[in-house]
Amino acid sequence: MRYLIALLIVASLPIQAQFDATSADFEKQTISIALAQEPPQLNGMKATDQVSIFMLSHVMEGLVRYDRRGNVVPGVAERWEIDDTGATFWLREEAIWSDGEPVTAHDFVFAWQNTLAPQTASEYAFILYPIKNGEKVNVGELDPSKLGVRALDDKTLKLEFERPTGYFIKLTAFSSYFPVRKDFFESKGDQYAADVDDLLFNGPFVLTEWVHSASLRMTKNERYWNKDKITLNEINANYITADTRARLNLFIDGQIVQTRLDGETYKDALTQRFRIRSFSTGSVFFLEYNHREDRPTRSLNLRRAIQHVFDADEFVNSVLGTPGNRAGRSLFPVWLRGVDSKFRQEYPAPEIDLDLQKARDYLEKAKQELGVEKIPPLVLLVGDSPTAGKQAVYMQGLLKVKLDIDLKVDIQTFKQRLAKMTAGEFDIVGAGWGPDFDDVMTFGDLFASWNLNNRGRYNNPKYDDQVRIAMSSSDPKTRMDAMGRLQQILFDDAVILPQYEQGVIYLMNPKLRGVVRRVVGPDPDYTYARVIK
Amino acid sequence: MNSETYLPSARDFEPTVSESHVEQISRPSLSYWQDAWLRLKKNTRAIISLYIIIGLAFFTLLGPVLWQIDPALQDLNQISQSPSLPKKAILIGPYQRWSGVILDDFPAEPEEYLDTIPAPDNIRIHDVATTQRVRLVWGPVEGAGGYNIYRNQRMPEGINDLGLPLGSTLGGNEVSYEDRLNLEQRQYFYSLVPTDGFDESDSYSTLEVTPQLAITLDKAKNRGLISEDSNDLGGKISLEFHPMGTDYLGRDMLARLMEGARVSLFIGIVAPFLYVLFGIVYGGFAGYFGGKADAMLMRFADFVVALPFLLFMILFKIAFGIGPGESGILPMLLALVLLGWPATARLVRGQVLQIREEGFIEAARLLGAKNHYLIIRHIIPNTMGVILVTLTFAVPAAIFTEAFLSFIGMGVAPPTPSWGSMCNEGVKTMLSHPHELIFPATFISITVLAFNLLGDGLTEALDSRMRSKE
Repeated sequence: MRYLIALLIVASLPIQAQFDATSADFEKQTISIALAQEPPQLNGMKATDQVSIFMLSHVMEGLVRYDRRGNVVPGVAERWEIDDTGATFWLREEAIWSDGEPVTAHDFVFAWQNTLAPQTASEYAFILYPIKNGEKVNVGELDPSKLGVRALDDKTLKLEFERPTGYFIKLTAFSSYFPVRKDFFESKGDQYAADVDDLLFNGPFVLTEWVHSASLRMTKNERYWNKDKITLNEINANYITADTRARLNLFIDGQIVQTRLDGETYKDALTQRFRIRSFSTGSVFFLEYNHREDRPTRSLNLRRAIQHVFDADEFVNSVLGTPGNRAGRSLFPVWLRGVDSKFRQEYPAPEIDLDLQKARDYLEKAKQELGVEKIPPLVLLVGDSPTAGKQAVYMQGLLKVKLDIDLKVDIQTFKQRLAKMTAGEFDIVGAGWGPDFDDVMTFGDLFASWNLNNRGRYNNPKYDDQVRIAMSSSDPKTRMDAMGRLQQILFDDAVILPQYEQGVIYLMNPKLRGVVRRVVGPDPDYTYARVIK
Repeated sequence: MNSETYLPSARDFEPTVSESHVEQISRPSLSYWQDAWLRLKKNTRAIISLYIIIGLAFFTLLGPVLWQIDPALQDLNQISQSPSLPKKAILIGPYQRWSGVILDDFPAEPEEYLDTIPAPDNIRIHDVATTQRVRLVWGPVEGAGGYNIYRNQRMPEGINDLGLPLGSTLGGNEVSYEDRLNLEQRQYFYSLVPTDGFDESDSYSTLEVTPQLAITLDKAKNRGLISEDSNDLGGKISLEFHPMGTDYLGRDMLARLMEGARVSLFIGIVAPFLYVLFGIVYGGFAGYFGGKADAMLMRFADFVVALPFLLFMILFKIAFGIGPGESGILPMLLALVLLGWPATARLVRGQVLQIREEGFIEAARLLGAKNHYLIIRHIIPNTMGVILVTLTFAVPAAIFTEAFLSFIGMGVAPPTPSWGSMCNEGVKTMLSHPHELIFPATFISITVLAFNLLGDGLTEALDSRMRSKE
């Protein structure tokens, strides 16, 4: 306790802002950053978390990549052709691995087969399902060699689709689609991606130093085909911490170039007179109900009652209290593209009328339906971040005052929460979903009965039908119509309670230019960054 | 013959009264306790502490009767308010969505990209600025493809000092913005920076706004601030009074401190009482009988000292089947009692070992006193001083343990407050709203200090060797 108090006093001492420290060096073109955690998995075939994908996207390159404005541009592939049945990619001659060997079409075939192989147990294997036989290979029905992709020669990759997939090109920028060289992978065995020497790189940077649980260093890849466009010589991840206050202090000391602010730290940043920037992460946060038969939340009337008392505007403005968040009205965030413009402009989210009387009527019906005098206490499962706790307590107060429902707040670490979500040990869970690729489907199939991420086991054949329609068509209008109907089903069935579309505020060293914040893909992207004087 | 005869009367046969002239003690005789009390009264610190403790007892037991506000009730109109007098707010109608101002005769995207876009002028407030919403409207500028809106709490000193980025509009013709983010009744400086749709310009313009505190009619009715049939839009009403301010969800700090005191003092008094009682019995037994029994009992006490408290607390929590979101007070109490007694036991044993060798014990034994008489009449009263002192020192330790455990989230379950969990919540807003941390922390400090000083005073007062020294 004494250490804690000492620490707090230190944290509150006024510290003068200075940028002459080392976080962004103009002469050497090096920057320093802090990572939220040590990358848990740098094997692109298995990586699922944000930090690993961030690292991988800087040191690896797929067939295509995103440019500064989020458009798809050629990566390892020089050009490509895509139709309803499949795609052909022509790889560039200059693409080489960090050991000097050329990147070939065989490397992609090997990586994709391996990602889908059941023994790899990749959580992101489903993202390769658009490739013919992808799902069958993944469940073990077919041998990986039967996957619908082959190398016509060293530099030509041809693949067939399982069904028309209009958004396939966007998928190939994702880390699960990165190439892996077979001979290198097999020579490393279980050690693959465990350390700097156990990885091969083909991206703009190479990992040159990895002191486990302390620091990582990425250096410019002199063999990268487009190295003239890369200005930074080094990215040093000198600190590994997710604590926003610690990171703010590092930023104030000029030790790191970028840090995210939360509801409390932004006030300090304001008094330090930093330029605060905001950015919409594209993730949607919602409360997900448990639809299993033994849970009170299976009652539609109960869910509707809660739907009619929850004011997303009040939640965003008064409870979250940080700018950039948008009140949640739908599973589909506003930035998603529709047929011609934004999806939400073409298919507006249904409006909820907040009506206490209606809510109480629904509650009465729910009690009769469940055959209880009073709704039993519901378990609300949330993460262990300070804001999650605050949101949970707000919900607790709201439901108690308006509906006389008791909520028990179950605060768990990320891993434990995920385990409990999978096991179904909750009534309501605070969940969020970030997009994997730039298409409505990245959100749309979330509550399909077969999706393993559908933790509440929502099962509605009508919902599944719409997902199938959208999956098997390449006509934008048909797909978006299906997604529009799906949005209505989500509302009518009160499958989830949308809370907010996440926005973050952050500080960036003003000497650093060209950093891209992305909704889809690695975020932040330092690939094209440069340090100015 | 003339002679007198003496006739004896009955008086002569009465026995003589024996008169004794023993010295009288003019002052009343003082018992051990009376003397201790006298000496305690001379100790100002201890007496003040005693009054504080009595005051705390009133605060905890009587407080909630007098201050009947639900400690879990959230008042989102008054989030993180500092202690203040009741505030006046104007009544406004329900919130209605605002479509904003989008000009038809102005291009959404600039026809040509200018190097510098001038700052928008004529920023003004649409409608009245209240804490429910602030609506800004401004004149469009040539070359703009959108505007970024910033908010600061002081006059910006330059483009890097505009404050919070509230949001942006999506076209050069969208010249309005509605701010509803955590508005308070204070001065705000709104700044507008035009963009060409992607990059920001170097110019900005600023407007100063002080929103009026407002509450919607519905909310005022729901909270019982006005009668159900009242419809006095634009009128002023008093908001709920929070003498010690509110926390991050607008909950009344005073009510929460009272409620929190119950948990803290419950643990702080019940746990030490139980384990000191057990320690007396255990230590007294070991000390009185001595020998092998004593050796074995004290080795077991040493073993218990070595057990880690936190681990046991978690084990009890699991063993009791205390699910998530349920209070951990019972396992905390159990762990405190089961692991806290050895200190008392050792002290009492030491005292008993010493006293049972004293001459007056021998004398009593020779006169035929039995074991239980010796223990009750002679040994326990003589160890009472030590016991009381241990108890007063154990109380603050237990309060502190509870506060610490609630601080790390092992104690009470939300929304039940305890001083420790309130500190935990308050520490997050320490710099912006210090009262949320300072109040519960002050209560913990004062309580712990009061019990400690009282304990100090009692040590001096109850020490029989100090008795004749003044």
